[in-house]
Amino acid sequence: MTDTTLTDRYVWAATRSVPDGQRADLERELRERIGDATDALVQTGRTTADAERMALVELGDPAALAASYVDRPLQLIGPRYFLTWWRLEKLLYSVALPLTVAAVLFAKLISGADLGAAIGDAVVVGFSLAVHLGFWPTLAFAVLERTPGRSADLQWTPDLLPQLPEVGRPGRRGELIGSLVFLGIFAVAIVWQQFGVIFIGGERQAIPLLNPDLWSFWIPYFLVLIVLEMLFAVAIYAWGWNWWLAVANLVLNVAFVVPALWLFTTGQLVNPEALDVMGWPWGDAGRVIVPILVFTVIGVAAWDVIDGVIKTVRGRGSAMPTLGRI
Amino acid sequence: MSTDETTAGHLQELRRGTVVLACLTRLRTPDYGYALLESLNGLGITVDANTLYPLLRRLEKQGLLTSEWNTDEARPRKFYRTSDAGERLAAALTADWHRIDEALRRLTTGDER
Repeated sequence: MTDTTLTDRYVWAATRSVPDGQRADLERELRERIGDATDALVQTGRTTADAERMALVELGDPAALAASYVDRPLQLIGPRYFLTWWRLEKLLYSVALPLTVAAVLFAKLISGADLGAAIGDAVVVGFSLAVHLGFWPTLAFAVLERTPGRSADLQWTPDLLPQLPEVGRPGRRGELIGSLVFLGIFAVAIVWQQFGVIFIGGERQAIPLLNPDLWSFWIPYFLVLIVLEMLFAVAIYAWGWNWWLAVANLVLNVAFVVPALWLFTTGQLVNPEALDVMGWPWGDAGRVIVPILVFTVIGVAAWDVIDGVIKTVRGRGSAMPTLGRI
Repeated sequence: MSTDETTAGHLQELRRGTVVLACLTRLRTPDYGYALLESLNGLGITVDANTLYPLLRRLEKQGLLTSEWNTDEARPRKFYRTSDAGERLAAALTADWHRIDEALRRLTTGDER
C-alpha cells in the first residue's frame, strides 16, 4: 500500500459530494487532468512534489470544482429568485411585523398588563418574529434555488410598477374634498351632540353627550382646531407636502390627541348624565373599551403624522430630511 | 477597477465564444484535454485550464462533443470528438464570425451601407 498522495486527497474531497453515478467519471477526469498538468510542470524542471502541489492550486477549492461539475449553485439565493425573495421580505417586515407587534401590545393592554410589561412582551415577540420572518422564507428560497426544473411563476409584469408620487394638484383634489367634508361633519357633530344624540326606545334624549362644562374652554378650543385643520388641508392642496407642513401636521395632531385623551381618561370629556342614561359602565366592558379607544386614537394620529412624513419624502424625491431644508 | 483589469475583462468576454468555435473545429480529430489546451495556446488562442475542462464537459452534455476513454496508456484519458450537431454549430458560428468580421471592417473603414 503506497502512501496517500495529495492527488488522492484532492480527488476524494472533490468527489465525495457528487452523486454515485457521476463519481467514477469525475474521479478519472480529475486524475487525468492533475496527472497531465503535473507532468507538464515537471518538464519545466520542478520536482514532482512541487509540480503536483502547483497543479492542485490551479484547480482550486475541490468543493467549488465539484459544485460546478454537478451544476450546484454556490450562492444561497441566485439572481433567478433574489428579487422575488427581496420583495417578499420587504413586505413581511413592513406589514406583518408592525401589525403583530401592535396586536401583541394591544392584547396585553386590554388584558390589564401595565404599559412597561406590555411593551416588553411586544419587543420580545417582535424580535423573535423578525428572526422567523428572515429565516423561513430565506430557507424556502434556498431550497427552491437547489430544486431542478423551471423557475417559479413569479415573473415580473408591468403591473408591478410602482405608482408615481402624486405631485400634481389634480391628484390632491380628492384628498382636499375628503378632508374638508370629514372635518365639517366632525364640527357639526360636536355642536349637534349638545341637543342630544342618545336614543332610548327610539326617542331622543335631550342630554348632551359631551360634558357641558367644556363649553367654557375645551369645546371652542377643538372647534378652532378643526378650523386650523381645514386651513391645513387647503395648504396641502395649494403647496403639496413639505417639511414645514409635516411639522405643522405633527403639532396639530398633538394639540388634538393630548387634551382629548387627558379629558377622556380623567373622566371630564363625557357628560355624567349621558353615562347614566347609557348605563355606563357596562360591567367589565370598560376595561376593554377604554384601552381600545385610547389605542385607536393614538394609532390614527401617529399614522397620520407618519403618512405626512412619507408623502413629504416621496414628493421631494429625497431620502432624509436635513436641517437646512426644514 | 484599473484600465488593465477592464481591458482584460472585455478581452475575456470577446474570446469566450471563440474558444467554443476553436474547440469544435479542432476536435474534428479526437484529442484529450491537455493536448487540446496546448495546441490552442500554441495557435495563439489563449485559454485557461479552468475554463477549458468545464467547457468540454458542457459541450459534451449538450451533445456537441462525444467522448471515449482511451485506456491504452498507463494514464486513462478522455478523448473528445466533435459530433454531427457540433459540426453544424461550428458551421453556423464560423459563418457568423465572418459576418461580424466583415461588419466591423466596414465600420472601421467608414464604408457603411
